[in-house]
Amino acid sequence: MDTNNTTIDYKKERVAYYKVLVGLLLLTAVTFIQPHLFMTESTFLAQMTIAVIKAWLIIMYYMHLKGDSLIGVMGIFSLVIVATFMVIVIGFDVANFQFGAESHITGPASAGVEHATPVQH
Amino acid sequence: MSHEYIPEIATDRDGNKHEVQGWQDDFYGGKLGFWLFMFTEVLMFGAMFMVLAYYNTLHPEAFIEASASLNRLLGGINTVILLVSALTMGLSLLKMRVGDVKGAKLMIWATILLAIAFLVIKGFEWRAEYNHGIFLMHGEMLPESGMAFGKKLFFGMYFTMTGIHGFHIIIGIGLMIWLLKRINAGKVTPAHHILHWNIALYWDIVHLIWVFVFPYYYMIGAGGVAGGH
Repeated sequence: MDTNNTTIDYKKERVAYYKVLVGLLLLTAVTFIQPHLFMTESTFLAQMTIAVIKAWLIIMYYMHLKGDSLIGVMGIFSLVIVATFMVIVIGFDVANFQFGAESHITGPASAGVEHATPVQH
Repeated sequence: MSHEYIPEIATDRDGNKHEVQGWQDDFYGGKLGFWLFMFTEVLMFGAMFMVLAYYNTLHPEAFIEASASLNRLLGGINTVILLVSALTMGLSLLKMRVGDVKGAKLMIWATILLAIAFLVIKGFEWRAEYNHGIFLMHGEMLPESGMAFGKKLFFGMYFTMTGIHGFHIIIGIGLMIWLLKRINAGKVTPAHHILHWNIALYWDIVHLIWVFVFPYYYMIGAGGVAGGH
């Protein structure tokens, strides 16, 4: 637990900050090369996995959650609640949406160029 | 009507009562409270990601094509900018904690400049998209336009989420300027730095949200339709 009275090893903590920065920069580089290098058939899964690793580094080291069990447990609890609702909403409710045919959102895509060549903006 | 002063009483572990003089030293309480606030942020953005995931399951190919049309270079530069700004904000807190107030203020200014750079780049990006007729309730995004419906959903969520995220950046800049004023006024010191700590946490959550926004919008289409999900 961090308090105002904790003795701080400035050099050690600064080195940790820079190490995490290097890690995050490397992971950002991996984000860019991944679609051409590995898991090319499942880009979404690969990108989200990299994002979760980056998030873990930020939460543990930049947000000082490492060693703070109370807030850590609270965080996990909150994420489990969000994940549970996600599973219920996406996995059950949306998958069995009984008004799909009538809904504007779930109905067939409107006329237009659905698969046009992407244009860089 | 007179207002009688009623002291706030705290009880220690032995049952002794003490009059509360101030909560400034309740470091852990202040931090815990701010974490609770951040969970509400996670819930808000979590709900938006849920909507995004739902639309994505309905229009997977349109999402990949729309994602491929975003400017990954500018998005990537902004990612690095936020990443470095998280470092400068962290270093500012570290410097404050060890008593280097001047160094802490310099690092906060560096963070503010990086935040402004982020907004400027985001502004250029939005301007380019607007000029291509892609913006909320404008041009290609209008109901009568020929753009695929899935793409309209993608871009609608893109402008909403990056817009709300940008709003958080603006709030962050305001908070950092306020923090500088509090430091100059001697209200935030190495001994009482909970405000600094919490604003650094706020900046980290803003960064954390971008860590998921960036790949979901900019990168899922990088491998083309063959990249799949």
